[in-house]
Amino acid sequence: MSTSVAIEQPKSNTLSSRVFSFVPGVILLAAIGYAGKSIEQSISRYGKSHHLSLPNIEYVLWAILIGLAISNTVRIPELFKTGIATYEFWLKLGIVLLGARFLLGDVIKLGGLSLALVVIELAIAIALMTALGRAFKLTPKLTTLLAVGSSICGVSAIIAAKGAIDADDEDSSLAIAAILALGAIALFTFPFIGHLLGMSNHAYGLWSGLAVDNTAEAVAAGALYSDAAGKIAVLAKTARNAMIGFVVLGYAIYWASKGQAQIVHNKALFLWQKFPKFVLGFLLISILATLGVFSKEQLGSLGNLSRWAFLLTFAGVGLRTNLREMQKQGLRPFIVGAVGEILIAAVTLGLVLGADSIFHLS
Amino acid sequence: MSNRKFNLSLDGWAVALALLLALFVRLNIFPRIPW
Repeated sequence: MSTSVAIEQPKSNTLSSRVFSFVPGVILLAAIGYAGKSIEQSISRYGKSHHLSLPNIEYVLWAILIGLAISNTVRIPELFKTGIATYEFWLKLGIVLLGARFLLGDVIKLGGLSLALVVIELAIAIALMTALGRAFKLTPKLTTLLAVGSSICGVSAIIAAKGAIDADDEDSSLAIAAILALGAIALFTFPFIGHLLGMSNHAYGLWSGLAVDNTAEAVAAGALYSDAAGKIAVLAKTARNAMIGFVVLGYAIYWASKGQAQIVHNKALFLWQKFPKFVLGFLLISILATLGVFSKEQLGSLGNLSRWAFLLTFAGVGLRTNLREMQKQGLRPFIVGAVGEILIAAVTLGLVLGADSIFHLS
Repeated sequence: MSNRKFNLSLDGWAVALALLLALFVRLNIFPRIPW
């Protein structure tokens, strides 16, 4: 399955050949994303011109559906794969640029609340996944990977933990497959539940950022609800991602104490290496925006650049989701993941609704 | 040109490009970006 999260290294070493190897896949991402945007606008225009009240289906869903349809019906040529794998680059670029739409005060206020909820979510998710992994007799390291993937940030966290705890490739593939499959399901269930409960954009965005595991899916699940919810989901998910080093370090120390992983000598360096640096970029752009470096129109332009970057990401989410490959990965890790994710989603929903009633998120 | 000179992580590239785009927008090198 296509679980690559880093830009694949082409065979040739020259910079120009590396750049050109990305071009076909990136054009495909852009074409799918733009087609999604055009479909949304066409439906909206048709409804207006014919005085019909049609449901507004966001471009996000169209881009994901077109990507899903392509990746699950035709075999994508190798030529496109390097470029398609850049979807995570566009995600990070979009998040950093989105920093321009947040004043630092909002980041501290919402990010602080998110961090507090993240700490509770982490403890509950790790405890739940560990108990479920034992109950379903998964290997201890697969259980660790599922716990890390479901508590923090999906695929990146699993890959970071894989190296730190010396897990094998099969366990990490299973954990990644389970997390990606559940992320795809969340895309369609979360907005439905949010609308059913009449959640505010803030509350829903916070919930998506806390409960959906992989960053791309968390951002997409937020954006499917509304633009404002998508922004809050990015902030909450970024706060969650920032915790990756601490959780992976905890597990690395645990497995090293059992003699099944290398001892971490320099913990500060380990934390810095695992820290997602794009979070710093997000904060830097937010600080620049707060200091008034950009005019209102320029802030709008940066926000729109962020949306264009996300457009490519959402197309990539659909393209890299291969349902047949996921089916081959076996049922037990998926069941553990699914039961754990449903419980985590329910607990985080309770946390967010509780925070909403106290802090009146609006 | 060796790619060793461009040994930035994915995050590093994303932050560098975002800052470059922000600079272009700030200096009005880019026109207003539509959506």
